[in-house]
Amino acid sequence: MITLITGGSKCGKSRYAEDILTGFDGRRIYVAAMQPYGEEAHEAIARHRRLRAGKGFETIERYTDIGELQLPQGCAVLLECVGNLCANEMFRDGKMYRPADKISAEIQLLAARAEELVIVTNQVGSDGISYTEGTAAYMAEMEKINRSIAVSADCVIECVYGIPLVLKGALPCSGR
Amino acid sequence: MILIVGGAFQGKTNYAVSRFSLSHSDVARGSECRLSDVLSARCVADYHQLVRRLLSEGSDPLIFTEQLCAENEAAVVIMDEIGCGVIPLEKSERIWREAVGRCGCMLAERADIVIRMICGIPTVIKGELP
Repeated sequence: MITLITGGSKCGKSRYAEDILTGFDGRRIYVAAMQPYGEEAHEAIARHRRLRAGKGFETIERYTDIGELQLPQGCAVLLECVGNLCANEMFRDGKMYRPADKISAEIQLLAARAEELVIVTNQVGSDGISYTEGTAAYMAEMEKINRSIAVSADCVIECVYGIPLVLKGALPCSGR
Repeated sequence: MILIVGGAFQGKTNYAVSRFSLSHSDVARGSECRLSDVLSARCVADYHQLVRRLLSEGSDPLIFTEQLCAENEAAVVIMDEIGCGVIPLEKSERIWREAVGRCGCMLAERADIVIRMICGIPTVIKGELP
């Protein structure tokens, strides 16, 4: 089962995603895509670690190429988050790539191995600001990935200041 | 407490005034009102702007929000949703965006009713309207 959780920045998406998997009876694997560069990234990572401490997750740091992850069959996976993964795949080796199709395909590989896949993403296209080419392309790739995941997801949830709104399917039972 | 969220210019304040029998003089604007007014006003609008003011004064917006929840339980609080864009380049904007998100989560958790406005249309996303 695939659950996609979207919404604005700092709106309780991660906490909600973790809570969905708290009731899962099996190995819970947290795939962290944020690269630990800079003070703010360190703070964000530390905050996320505190948030999921004691919730029974094994953490794998994986910044690109998530399709190559070796996962035990039947585990639960929490992928956090598409925004970082997309930026990591898009801007590397001093070049700009268009990774939406690659990431969408790799997410399907994860979904085939995991019993439960919960994906945290971000809405990035709603601030009404016209950005320069690289950022505009990033927004386009992000929303393309989001649309693609939503098609195959069983459940799509938008978090609004911590309140889950169901956009597709039904709330996962442990996330009520 | 009642929380009304949504994008800018979606009709949040007008809805609050008409639905909850307020007058516009009952509304304290977070962009300009005195901090003490926030703790007693029937309605506080532009809470996301108040968060910016608190940060610029060196105050912790989460502590102030906690105080608001404790001292003005019956208030109607209105704030924009500002997190649905790309990460701002300016550090101060990133700090503001994060603080607004955390304060919004706290207000939504404490509120009995949360309403989201789009195009002037209210959707109750928590609780039930009286």
